[in-house]
Amino acid sequence: MRNPWGWVALTAFSLLFFTFIYAPLFVIIGYSFNSNPVNMMIWEGFTFDWYTGLFGLSDRATGVGNRAAYIESTDQMLAALRTSLTVALFTTTISTVIGTATAIALARYRFRGRGAYNGFLMMPMMMPDIVLGIGLLIFFVTLGMQLSLLTIIIGHCTFLTSYVFIIVQARMAGLDPALEEASADLGASEWTTLRKVLLPQLAPGIMGGALLAFVISMDDLVITYFISGVGDTTLPVFIFGMIRRGVKPEINAIATLIILASVIIAALGLWLRSRKID
Amino acid sequence: MALRRQSVILGALLAPVTLFLGVFFVLPLLIIAVFSFLTPGLYGGVEWAFYHWNYGRIFGWADGIMEVYEPIYLRILLRSLIFAALTVIVTLILCYPVAFWVSGLPDRWRLVFLFLITLPFFSSLIVRLYAWLLILKPTGLFNTVLMNLGLIGQPLEILYTPTAVVLGMVYVMIPFMFLPLYASVDNLDRAQVEASLDLGANRIQTLVKVILPQTLPGILGGAVIVFIPSVGNFIVPDVLGGAKGLMVGNLVEQQFLSSRNWPFGSALSMIIMAVVLTVLLIAVARARKVGGHA
Amino acid sequence: MAPLLEIRAARRDFATPEGGKICALDGVDLDVGANEFVTLLGPSGCGKTTLLRAISGFEMLDSGTIQLGGADLTALPPFRRPVNTVFQSYALFGHITVARNVGYALEVAGVAKAQRDVEVAETLEKVGLAGMGTRRPSQLSGGQRQRVALARAIIAKPKLLLLDEPLSALDRNLRQQMQIELKNLQHRLGIAFIFVTHDQEEALTMSDRIVVMRAGAIEQIGTPRDIYRHPRNRFVAEFIGETNLFAVTVDRLEGDTALARTAEGVEVLLPADGRKAGERLTAILRPADFTIAAQGIPGTVTRAVYLGSDLHLSVAPEAGGPDISVAIRDGLGVGEGTRLHLAHDPARVHVLEDA
Repeated sequence: MRNPWGWVALTAFSLLFFTFIYAPLFVIIGYSFNSNPVNMMIWEGFTFDWYTGLFGLSDRATGVGNRAAYIESTDQMLAALRTSLTVALFTTTISTVIGTATAIALARYRFRGRGAYNGFLMMPMMMPDIVLGIGLLIFFVTLGMQLSLLTIIIGHCTFLTSYVFIIVQARMAGLDPALEEASADLGASEWTTLRKVLLPQLAPGIMGGALLAFVISMDDLVITYFISGVGDTTLPVFIFGMIRRGVKPEINAIATLIILASVIIAALGLWLRSRKID
Repeated sequence: MALRRQSVILGALLAPVTLFLGVFFVLPLLIIAVFSFLTPGLYGGVEWAFYHWNYGRIFGWADGIMEVYEPIYLRILLRSLIFAALTVIVTLILCYPVAFWVSGLPDRWRLVFLFLITLPFFSSLIVRLYAWLLILKPTGLFNTVLMNLGLIGQPLEILYTPTAVVLGMVYVMIPFMFLPLYASVDNLDRAQVEASLDLGANRIQTLVKVILPQTLPGILGGAVIVFIPSVGNFIVPDVLGGAKGLMVGNLVEQQFLSSRNWPFGSALSMIIMAVVLTVLLIAVARARKVGGHA
Repeated sequence: MAPLLEIRAARRDFATPEGGKICALDGVDLDVGANEFVTLLGPSGCGKTTLLRAISGFEMLDSGTIQLGGADLTALPPFRRPVNTVFQSYALFGHITVARNVGYALEVAGVAKAQRDVEVAETLEKVGLAGMGTRRPSQLSGGQRQRVALARAIIAKPKLLLLDEPLSALDRNLRQQMQIELKNLQHRLGIAFIFVTHDQEEALTMSDRIVVMRAGAIEQIGTPRDIYRHPRNRFVAEFIGETNLFAVTVDRLEGDTALARTAEGVEVLLPADGRKAGERLTAILRPADFTIAAQGIPGTVTRAVYLGSDLHLSVAPEAGGPDISVAIRDGLGVGEGTRLHLAHDPARVHVLEDA
C-alpha cells in the first residue's frame, strides 16, 4: 500500500498544511517586533516599543495618538484582561462542578429518559453562539436584569457545562465500575467513595474539562459581545473593537502575548492528559 | 428503601444542570421564538402583539406598507448556506489526506503533530482572524510577496471578498474537521485495506469501496460540527468580508445592535436554528442507519 | 451448629432492554458453614455472579432473605455488610499506593494510622508481598495485583470472603499456583470463602462443596466427589468433566448385573439393584471408567491425543451412535484406526432414572 512516491507527496502536502496553519501566527509575531508604525510590511528594525507601549511605558504612539490616549487604552486593555480572568475563573468553577455532577449522574445511574438527557446536554454545544447570545440578551433585558459580569458568567456557563460534561463523561466511561463497588465493599459510604475514589480517579478528566472551559471562556467573543454590559468588556471583545477601528502595531503585540499564553496553556493541557493515573 | 436513597442522590446530582439549562438555555430559545412573532416597536423594543411579517419580509409575503419584502435576505441566507458548505468541503479536502499522514507516522511524531493540530484550538479566534487581515490587506504580506516576485502588477483584491470569508472560516474550523476525521482514520482496519488490494481492487476502488465507507462516520461528524458554527458565523465575515461577504449572522447582529429591530432579528435567528436542527436530525438519522449496519 | 450464611428463597429479576424479564435468581436456598470453601459453578448467565453480588449488597433481592451469623443483611447497603469481595478485575485504586489500597477498609473505618501501618504490613506479609507497600498498582505484575486485591479484602477480617472469578486473568501456571495458595490461606485465616468460577477444574480442585447453577436455580450442591461421581441430572453430568451418556433400555438381568442397550445396540452393564427388563434410563460413564479388554463394547479409535500422562481416545462403537470418550493410563500400541473392546465395571456406572 505504501508506495514511496505516494508517501512523499502526502508528506509534502501535509507539511504545507501545517505551514498554512502556523504561518499566520508567525506573521503576527514577526510584525510585533517591526519598528515601522505605518507599513508593517517594510522592516524598519527590531523594537520592543509596541510591547512597552501596551503598558504605557513607551512614548511612541501610532496614528494620531499621544501618550495620554495610550495610557487610557492601556487601562482599558488591562481592565478587559481582568474582566476576562474574573469571568473565566467563576465560569470554570461553576461549569466544572455542575458538569462533573451531571457526568457522574448519567454514567452511574440508569433511569428513564437518560438517552434524551444526553442529547439535551449536547444542545448548548451545537447551538450557534449567535442564537444563544441574542436569546440570552432578550431574556436578560425582558427580565430587567442589568447586563454585567454576572450575565456574562451565566452566559458562558450555559454552554461550558456541556463541554466539561463531555470530557468528564469520557473519563467516567473508562473507569472500572468495580472501583466504586470495591470501595463500598470495604466499608466506605457513598460520600467517602466519592471523595476517596471517584473524584481522585476522575481528576485528570475534571482538570482537562476545567482547562478547556477556562480557555473557551477566555476566548469567547460572540456570546460575550451580546450580553456584556458597557463597563464589562472582555479581552476578545476589546481586541475585536480595536481591529474594527483599524490595524495598529500594538494589536500585534497583544496578539503575540495571547499566542504565547495559549501555547503555555495547551502544553499544560497536554501534560495533564499524558499523566496517567493508573 | 435503597432505591429511594439512590433517587435522592440522582436528583441532587441532576438538579443543578436541569435548573440552570432550563432557565438560561431553554427559556432564552423559547423567548426568541416568541419574539419572532411580535411587533417591532417604533424606537427599538417590542409591542406584545402577534405579527407574522417578520417572516414575510424574508420569504415574500410582506404587506409592502409597514414591511417590505427584500429578496436580499433570502440571498444572504442562501449565501450563508453556500459559504458553510464550501467551508465543509475545503476543510475536508485539506484534512483527509493529512489525517492519513498523521496516523501513519511513528508514535512520537504522531503525538507531536496531533498537538500541533490542537494548539490553534487553544489560541484566540480573534487573533487568528486578525493574522489573515494582516496577510490579505492590499499592502499585506500576500500581495507584497507576489508583487516583489513580479507575478502581479498591482495588489489583488482579496480582503473583503467572499474568498476571504471562506478562507477565514476554513482556517478557524480546521481543528474541528481534523479531529473526528483522524479518529475514524486511525480506527480504520488496515487489514481490510490490504485485503481489498490483495483481492485485486486497485487504489481508487479500494478508496471508494473500503476506505471511504469506513471513515464515513468521521466525515459526517466533522461535516456537522464544521457546518453548524459556520452557518451562523458573524465574526469572520465582520473582520474579513465586505458587503459582498455579508452572512446571516451579520444581519442578526445588525438587528440587535444597530437597527434595534429585535423581532426581525429573532425571526432570522429562528431560521438559523431551523437549519441547524435540520442538519442535526439528518446527521442523527444517518448515524443510526450507519450504526445499524455495523 | 447454625450455618454462617443462610440464604432463603432469594429471587431477583432483571428487565431486558426489549421489555422482557430475565430471572437471574429463581428462589435460591443456600447455607454456608464457617470456614467452608464453597464454589458457585455454572455457565455464564446462570446467576452465580448475581448471587455473589446479592450477598455483597450490589444487587438487592426482589424477595428472600440473606442472614450472616444470625444478622439479617437483606436490606443493608454494601458498606454495612461484614463481607468483603475480591473482584474479577481486582479493582485496585490506581491513584494510591499498594499499602493504602490494602489499608483502605481500616482507613474508612477510622483506624489510627500507626495501627493501620502495622496491620497492612502483616497482611502484605500473609499474601507474600512484604515490602511492596510503597509501590503503585500499575507497577505490579498480574499475580501481584491479585495478591493485593486479596490482602485488601481480608484486612478487615470479614467472616466471609467473596471471590468473583479472581483467577480468570492469570495464565495457567500462575492460576494453579494461586489455587493452592488461596486454599492454604483460607485454612490459615479460618474464614468462609465463596468462590465464583465457570472453570469446573478449578471448582473440583479447591472446593469443600460445589454449587452448580443454571438459569438462576441451583441444580446440585455437593462435595466435588459427589458432583463428579453422582451428578443429579444430565446438565450437571455434562457440565462437570467429560462424560459419556448412554440412553439405554434394560434388556435382561444376569445375577448382580443388568444388561442394557442403547437404541443402536451398544451394551452397557449396570448393577441389578432390582431393575426390571424394559426399564429406560440414562447411564453415565466417565472416560476413566473404561479399560481396554478382550471383551466389551467393540469399536474403532477415531482420534488419539496424549494429555500429560493419559491417552485420550475417541472410540466409534461398531454398533453406531456417538463416539465414546475414553482416558487410559497405558495406551501403548493404540492409535487412530485401532480396533478394540471397551470394558467397564458395572459399579462405576451412575444412573439417572428419568431418562
